[in-house]
Amino acid sequence: MYSTQRSFKWTSALLAVSLALTLALAACGNNNNNGGGQAAAGDASPSAASPSASQADGSPSAAAQGGELTYALATSPDTLDPQRSGLAVAVRVIRTIYDNLVVKLPDNTIKPWLATEWTESEDGLSYTFKLRQDVKFQDGTPFNAEAVKYNYDRILDPNTKAANASALLKPYKSAEVIDEYTVKLNLETPSRAFLGNLSQALLGIVSPTAAKKYGDQFGKNPVGTGPFKFVKWEENAEITVERNPDYNWGPEIVDNKGAPYLDRLTFKIAPEEATRIGSVQSGQVLAAETVPPQNIVSLKSNPDFQVLQANTIGLPYTLFINQDRAPWGETKARQALQYGIDVGAIVKTLYLGTYDQAWSALSPGVLGYDASLENAIKPDIDKANALLDEIGWKKGADGIREKDGKKLTLRYVDGTPNREKRNDIAAIIQQQLKKIGIDTEVVITKDILTEVFTNANFDIYGNSQVNGDPNALSAFYHTAPKGVLGNIAHVSDPELDEWLEQGALEKDDAKRAELYKKVQQRIKDEAVIIPIYVFPYTVAASKSVQGLKFDLLGYPLFNDVSLAK
Amino acid sequence: MLKAVTGRILSSLLVIVGSSALVFVIMYLLPGDPVASMIDVSNASPETIANLRHQLGIDRPFLLQLADYFGKLLRGDFGQSVLNSEPVLPKIAKHFPATLALAAASAAVSVVVGVLLGVLSAIHRNKPIDLIARIVGLLGISMPAFWTGILLLLIFSIRLGWFPAMGSHGWRTLVLPALTLGLIGAGFIVRMVRNSMLEVIGDAFVVTLRAKGLSERAVMYRHALRNALIPAVTMIGVLAGEMLAGTVVIETVFSRQGIGRIIADAIMAKDLPVVQGVILFSSLVYVVVNLLVDLSYAVIDPRVRRSA
Repeated sequence: MYSTQRSFKWTSALLAVSLALTLALAACGNNNNNGGGQAAAGDASPSAASPSASQADGSPSAAAQGGELTYALATSPDTLDPQRSGLAVAVRVIRTIYDNLVVKLPDNTIKPWLATEWTESEDGLSYTFKLRQDVKFQDGTPFNAEAVKYNYDRILDPNTKAANASALLKPYKSAEVIDEYTVKLNLETPSRAFLGNLSQALLGIVSPTAAKKYGDQFGKNPVGTGPFKFVKWEENAEITVERNPDYNWGPEIVDNKGAPYLDRLTFKIAPEEATRIGSVQSGQVLAAETVPPQNIVSLKSNPDFQVLQANTIGLPYTLFINQDRAPWGETKARQALQYGIDVGAIVKTLYLGTYDQAWSALSPGVLGYDASLENAIKPDIDKANALLDEIGWKKGADGIREKDGKKLTLRYVDGTPNREKRNDIAAIIQQQLKKIGIDTEVVITKDILTEVFTNANFDIYGNSQVNGDPNALSAFYHTAPKGVLGNIAHVSDPELDEWLEQGALEKDDAKRAELYKKVQQRIKDEAVIIPIYVFPYTVAASKSVQGLKFDLLGYPLFNDVSLAK
Repeated sequence: MLKAVTGRILSSLLVIVGSSALVFVIMYLLPGDPVASMIDVSNASPETIANLRHQLGIDRPFLLQLADYFGKLLRGDFGQSVLNSEPVLPKIAKHFPATLALAAASAAVSVVVGVLLGVLSAIHRNKPIDLIARIVGLLGISMPAFWTGILLLLIFSIRLGWFPAMGSHGWRTLVLPALTLGLIGAGFIVRMVRNSMLEVIGDAFVVTLRAKGLSERAVMYRHALRNALIPAVTMIGVLAGEMLAGTVVIETVFSRQGIGRIIADAIMAKDLPVVQGVILFSSLVYVVVNLLVDLSYAVIDPRVRRSA
């Protein structure tokens, strides 16, 4: 008996010591990245920089040639067939392999890429593109009008299962090959968003030869005209692309129009945050995406690293209030939510100042974004309470409001997994709304399609969309968006409809911007939504990584990247 | 003996068919729609969604889907991923070696550490070695794998740089994941071996052996250990399941390839054919390992050989 007791004490003592030791070791594992931590597994192999100043014309000053960039992704792409993909992570890889007809610059102007010039018909029902004549796909197939026609027809073909790409390509009807390097695209209806959408990665041009050859396995054997050529894809491990030496048709958004400086670019797939970011800190990879807020803060203060950030544009993460369910059809009820929810506090608490608060239905950077809405709403609990009192919802004994014997409840539906801490937003709002007497039920479900889009069994649901054109608002705020399920809030406002329809057709950008400003103001005045945050795409990288840029939508561009010695 | 083996194989088949039918039902009942992970729903029309559902065959009645699934299975058709049309069987074949390597390395860690510490701690009861063994047992059983994994990763990869933090090629990528997963098994085996060793040491036959003048070494390692190993070997069969399940977490933490990663992703996306394929395959592996374990009794224990 005595001995067991003694050994028990021994056990707990030893256990405590060993636990403390491991924790201490782990805790001090943050700094001192140069000492001891050799670049394990030879990841950062400097692979003999090829100093041949071969295609030096046009390339700026002294970017170092050669080397391999290792870039850790947070999730695995589904396919590298741009026309079939639906995931942002896939687009990050797809951007390196494919080009588009046109490119959209940050100031929302549209410039040539694979097309050199274009004209729009008077009625807006067709575009005629002149194409570059010096472009070849990475498999040697010539790029020409026939290839463009094949691509867009492929997206329309239901067998391709190009659901996302075909939504972007709307209202494309058909293509006519005028001559080898001239193609005419016909539309069902005029569309202002069409030309800009042709710049999006999901409408990238694939090699017709390869697409026919591989059929539904093309996504594993991708061939485009882009700056990098596909080498291999080890599923759930890495995707490697290498420099396309023939590349000479870079778009205006990058400085280096020729072949990339990097020899190779390897995307490593590392879903676990600690692994991904730790690998950058220990030099096992040179860059990693999607940096958690707490790491952004600490990496920024370390001179060996840099954190690059690009806000994605389109619709920010927005809470839609379902107007079909009482009492949220009443403007005052929705305004009470607008004043009762302290969005600023939520964004600061959860993202530690690394995300920007959203103020409007559009995010900054989209044509027509209304900056005057910033700071236009200040959280005000008294005002929220007064608004609810006004429409007859009185606080009961338990602090929850009632009207005609009914409690004031709110069903807040959110999806799983907990992307960008959106579930946590729901939990905070639940607490905040308690203060104004609303009983919030948070429902986290995997089945958003049924719960939100089919049965509409919710009062609040949050969504976002990456999109380069303000016409994206039509899907979400038009009474009857053309055949899509987007109108989550079930908003129906004839004036909104009119502005959105005019915006879709207006040729003058300044007038177009005005129309969308009116739309955003109305959405705010009617408290249709609660905008929450603008999602920043973040990359943690070693200081040696230079020239990493982002396109209009926040996707990385590797054309200008070089590795400093 | 032969009759017993055929009986075991037949009942194993039943287990495999039953488990894949069960998984089919569970996946059918789970909320969510694969269509939602394929497209941006807010930007799609109801017709697009209906068409996709039709193409995937998930708009048919449940029993029809189930019958279709087993029908195809009998013809050796595991189907293809709904996300990217990749055929399921080659996908599993491609990723299984990495999982097998991890499971085998982890099992080796479990058995070597577990049996060694278990025996030593029983022989040297209440000595320091016993204490260490019991700590290993406690930690192995109680620490969650994702926590141990991240801890080992922070120390030995990110801080010390001894082993790579990700990847699945070469033995160096295997060390930390195998330790993480192996420690769990070691925890169970240590306790099992220690207890059964202690029991056997107290048995009358050990006293007899000692009385016959056999060396303590011979008594312990030739006779006592052999008897004590039977429950431990049973444990290894159970552990095979633990190891397969553990790879789901470990492969994610260490960014390894393998069927654990595949099934985790497939469940999130409701990619039914892939989930089904991996489950079917895993249950096959589990059943085979346990069959081998049962057969190995005959090798270890002569009584089993004679009675069968």
